[in-house]
Amino acid sequence: MAYIEFKNIDKFFGRNHVLRGINMEIEKGQFVTLLGPSGCGKSTLLRCLAGLETIDGGAIFLDGEDITRKDPKDRNIGMVFQHYSLFPNMTVAENIAFGLKLKKTDRAVIEKKVADAIRMVELEGKEDQYPSNLSGGQQQRVALARSIVMEPKVLLLDEPLSAIDAKLRKSLQASIKQITKELGLTAVFVTHDQDEAMVMSDVINLFHDGKIEQSGDPVSVYTRPVSSFAAGFIGNYNLLSVKDFTLVTGKVRQSGKETAIRPETFTISHQPIKNDDEYHFEGIVESNSPRGNVLRYTVNVNGVRIHIDALFRSRVLFEDGSRVYVSVAEKNCIVL
Amino acid sequence: MKTKKKHGTGLLLVVVAVYLLIPLVFTFLYSLFREWMDILPSSFTLNAYGEILGDSVFWLSVGRTLIISIIPIFICMVIVLLAMYVVVVYHPEWDKYMKLLCTMPYAIQGVILPICVLALYADAPEPFSNRIFMLTSTYCIVVLPYIYQGVRNNLNGMNVKGLLEAAQMLGAGQFYSFFRIIVPNITNGIIISSMLAMAIVFGDFVVINMLAGNYFPTAQMYVYEIMKKSSQKTCAAIMILFTVTLLISMFVFLRGADSQKQDEEN
Repeated sequence: MAYIEFKNIDKFFGRNHVLRGINMEIEKGQFVTLLGPSGCGKSTLLRCLAGLETIDGGAIFLDGEDITRKDPKDRNIGMVFQHYSLFPNMTVAENIAFGLKLKKTDRAVIEKKVADAIRMVELEGKEDQYPSNLSGGQQQRVALARSIVMEPKVLLLDEPLSAIDAKLRKSLQASIKQITKELGLTAVFVTHDQDEAMVMSDVINLFHDGKIEQSGDPVSVYTRPVSSFAAGFIGNYNLLSVKDFTLVTGKVRQSGKETAIRPETFTISHQPIKNDDEYHFEGIVESNSPRGNVLRYTVNVNGVRIHIDALFRSRVLFEDGSRVYVSVAEKNCIVL
Repeated sequence: MKTKKKHGTGLLLVVVAVYLLIPLVFTFLYSLFREWMDILPSSFTLNAYGEILGDSVFWLSVGRTLIISIIPIFICMVIVLLAMYVVVVYHPEWDKYMKLLCTMPYAIQGVILPICVLALYADAPEPFSNRIFMLTSTYCIVVLPYIYQGVRNNLNGMNVKGLLEAAQMLGAGQFYSFFRIIVPNITNGIIISSMLAMAIVFGDFVVINMLAGNYFPTAQMYVYEIMKKSSQKTCAAIMILFTVTLLISMFVFLRGADSQKQDEEN
């Protein structure tokens, strides 16, 4: 039996069926991400596991025990919220010690555990500060410390980094990953950011319309999408209908509805490219935009727009309006 | 341009301050008059103050006023906080009904409220027909809108749901979380709405006169009685009451400001 098991979970908000027969298993020590767009049900499932929402059908098991009807306070599950939810009238140390005091833990033990947790989240010297005097990143570290100090069976993270700026987010991603690994914690992480999911997860569960669309390790979810939705959400794939595929490559494809091609699998050149097992075609560059270390080109091929990513070696490799030669390997054209 | 605007605002404030202070200043001056001549008094004296301050009946009445102000406010605050707990935690959909109920007393103040209370409860069994019980309960109704609004405004400014959920995940019960985490964070709102409610009760004469009258002679009743004897003494009593109220308000506000400043410094 898995450490956490969701069995046929159904949840309604009024007439809205937000979770549709979810079945999911999580092994002990795994870092699992629930990924998907807003309103897909990922946060609701997390809240059901926490006990903050009741379910209308199915059962949830944690460590072999049915926790479906248990109170949140009796589940021994830690949770980090999107907006931190630190207690404003308490200092950093008091916030972290709150749960331990409720458990009537010995005072000396509380002091040691709080000090350890503060060290772990690198907030030494901030013990007596109030949350209002901390930055967003520091507040989220306190929230993390407050949860892990309770030594929970599972740590839930509900979009904890979405309110934090990009640079700090990266450092917090690393901290969270490292801390959960160090403590051997089972973590369930909710995000709508596919890059964040790729960086942090052992397993990604991609949610769509109250169901799990695809589940697997980050590489397999990224390279082998099972549906148009997965391809569109995870890898910014070019999705070509049968007709568009023929217009672009000049070849006729018999099976499948759409063909998904990742932007970085194209080769783009000023000279014609001729390799076996590849499709070759010509197009006109319509626009280019820098995206970090890659340049994204929009190329018009016989009236079909495709996106191509190339390493950002110099400002503009291909001018707008220039004719380019493009190739893509057959194996990178995924039929959906 | 900015300086001009600043001066204009300053002038406006001075005009408003003078307008508000004129009655107070003249009440004070009149309380010092020895004997009324044509326009000016024959001389000034502090006799009226001496007599009022030395009158134990006056201090007893002030004490009664304080008691009858504090108890209903305390009761009302506890009831509102408990009701808000139920609304916030269990039935957020009831909030609109609670708002409607709590603002209703605005419409039935003045002479209507004590008349209705008397008509309903004068012949009711004890303790409902007890005048002090009636008075306390009626003041609870009078101050309800002020207390509710103060608490509600402060709660609106907080992520109550998120804080309660966080506390729950750490092992706290809902009731404990509400009173240990939410209530301490709205202390300022509680103080301010209590002070406002206290000012309302302190200034009331209609309700207390109709419901308690001679059963429970408060400072208002005292002032009413001495009005028949001496205008100077009446003014002196009003000035003393004003000073007492001012001192209490300042003490509470300064305490509130201090704790807020301490929080900000921390």
